[in-house]
Amino acid sequence: MSQGIYLADAPVRRPQYGSNPLVRKIQRACRLSLQEPDLALNLDVADFVNAKQGAAPREAAIAIVKLVNSRDTHTAVFALALMDVLVKNCGYPFHLQISRKEFLNELVKRFPERPPVRFSKVQRLILTAIEEWYQTICKHAAYKEDLGYVRDMHRLLKYKGYVFPKIREEDLSVLRPTDHLKTPSEIQKEQEIVQAAKLDELIRRGKPEDLKEANKLMKVMAGFKADNALQSKQLLRDELTKLKRKADLFNDMLSTSESPDLNNDTLIELYSALKSSQPKFQKIIEEDQDDDGLVQELLSFNDTVNQLIQKYTLLKTGQSGQAAELHVSSVSSPGATSGTLADELNLIDFGDEPQSSPSPAPIAGTSNTMDDLLGDLNDLSFSQPAPSFGLGGSISLGPSMATSSVSPAPVTSNTSSSGNLDLLAEFSDLKPSQTQSYNAQNDLLGNFSSKKPENQTTDGIKRIEVSASNNLKIEFEITRQSSTSIRVTSIFSNIGNAPISNLTFMLAAPRTMTLRLEPQSGSTLSVGAIDGVRQTGWIDTSNSTSDKPLKVKWKVSYSFGTSSTEESSVFVFPKI
Amino acid sequence: MGGSISKAMGKMFGYREMKILMLGLDNAGKTTILYKLKLNKIKTTAPTVGFNVETVSYRNVKFNMWDVGGQDRLRPLWRHYFPATTALIFVIDSQDTGRLNEAKEELYSIIGEKEMEEVVLLVLANKQDLKGSLTPQEISDFLQLKDHLDNQLWCVIGSNALTGQGLVEGLSWITNNTHK
Repeated sequence: MSQGIYLADAPVRRPQYGSNPLVRKIQRACRLSLQEPDLALNLDVADFVNAKQGAAPREAAIAIVKLVNSRDTHTAVFALALMDVLVKNCGYPFHLQISRKEFLNELVKRFPERPPVRFSKVQRLILTAIEEWYQTICKHAAYKEDLGYVRDMHRLLKYKGYVFPKIREEDLSVLRPTDHLKTPSEIQKEQEIVQAAKLDELIRRGKPEDLKEANKLMKVMAGFKADNALQSKQLLRDELTKLKRKADLFNDMLSTSESPDLNNDTLIELYSALKSSQPKFQKIIEEDQDDDGLVQELLSFNDTVNQLIQKYTLLKTGQSGQAAELHVSSVSSPGATSGTLADELNLIDFGDEPQSSPSPAPIAGTSNTMDDLLGDLNDLSFSQPAPSFGLGGSISLGPSMATSSVSPAPVTSNTSSSGNLDLLAEFSDLKPSQTQSYNAQNDLLGNFSSKKPENQTTDGIKRIEVSASNNLKIEFEITRQSSTSIRVTSIFSNIGNAPISNLTFMLAAPRTMTLRLEPQSGSTLSVGAIDGVRQTGWIDTSNSTSDKPLKVKWKVSYSFGTSSTEESSVFVFPKI
Repeated sequence: MGGSISKAMGKMFGYREMKILMLGLDNAGKTTILYKLKLNKIKTTAPTVGFNVETVSYRNVKFNMWDVGGQDRLRPLWRHYFPATTALIFVIDSQDTGRLNEAKEELYSIIGEKEMEEVVLLVLANKQDLKGSLTPQEISDFLQLKDHLDNQLWCVIGSNALTGQGLVEGLSWITNNTHK
């Protein structure tokens, strides 16, 4: 506290202009020894301002405008570059500062009353900056009414005869609002920053009307008004509606012609907008679990987005035929959402990573529709669903949803060969799918399955060992039912020294064939259990005379002792 | 411009102006103190949601007194009032011994802020008229300011907002302990 010269605890250093670290950083970013504006240093200032908030945006603005007005062009140009970075990276708190009357007056301090014949470089840059703000944040920002002085300054300069340079579209787009979907907590966080900056500014100004507003704002910030939560909900809904319209437009563009122009800018933009919004769905669902309506809406919408993205991918890889089969219903119109369960199931199917599902229910069956999608056997991989599903996987249902929707129905086999939606509609009324799938099987198998009783096989049929690891032995019993149908019974034995639980077996056949699986007889194998679990399935081929040996890919996952294991391989059928 | 003129005038005539921030837990008596100083009247106040600002002149000092609500929901917003504060008046309800610790924590979190480093601290041990209230000395001991603040000026004064006891002393302590 004492004045004069004394040694303090701090090390003795050359006195610097500002003891303030922010001012020092700004000076470093604008120092003369730099060759050109140093983006890293500028971004460092932006980060600092963002981290500090409070008075930092104001201090930065004041320090920068001082440098802009320095006699040295070099420094002024650097300062303007820094200002540009801050405007683009620090958001509202800095926008509020550059729209202060005092700041704007300082900024144009060196502008003569009448415009000069030729603008200096600094003047041109300042005019560019103001024009840019005028075109972007003054028009699009959610809080544009707070930025009125920028508009006024723009008008004033225009009246005085100053001509603003034309701004390139790319430069403008940076400052345009991004209509990304945001989760409620993100929206709220943004709001908090905006409100805090505004409160700071109002208190600083301290005029009676400012204080009145500050008092009001404080009530809102302290949560005495429910505005915040409501408002963020509303914003979320608006964004969602916008996104739905985009989805519809995207769908229209994909569906109108056989081979839409996939390099169309709009199309690509819509695609990326949809795709980038997907990870947000899950977050929103996690945050807003209690809002059932919203969760359902999001789930069904996510489903649609998945289909659209898949369609796009198919078109891109030239499989327009399959793409055309995908009919995506429009989403933004009400009533488009079908039964909720169907939506969920649909979602699960598309998410298509059965082993990641939390349900211990025996999940079997790789639907033939999926085979269609996944393409040939060689491309088949369980752990890595086709790329178009990648994002679908990320929404793998919030924890609360998953258990409720998956466990009740041990989905046995996806029999029908029709489109996915049809298939799911069957399940939508949550009957135990057991019966349904049997019906379906009978239908499909026609006469022959009724001719041959199901238990007939085990006698005298050779067993083929498929795999035997340290813990688990898998064997197949293969019988030819007809010229086009093969029956495969998988038999599991525990050959290890610990019980096996959560046994899940999956098979995949090439897409020229149809695979149907019955549920496993169980999912646990005690120590030494031979033939403890069985699973029967049918493979229907369209042409029996194929010379190529029949190949299937299998994968088994189970918990052994405390650890979980997965085994998988391709099995080549012997000639039967 | 206007500011600098009035500053110059202030120097000539010995006027000064300072920002005083009055904080403390809810129901400590901040608003009552403010209006007792301003109007010399007891205003029955409802819990402050937001803040009150009044200017109080004492001797030749103009105090801009900011009284910010103390409910827990408002406390995170206190920091917005920190910039340019000359003195902090932290008001404590001397009878509310159960929440003394809470008050202490709040006080330390305020003066731990960078912006409040140079502020002079006046603790008002309010409600001295109530039975069972702690004396200023006891409050001072409890807060352990002596151990924790070495380069900050501080003082604990007992007060009674209803009679005005201790309030003027507090202002005069602030006047005497802020430079120029």
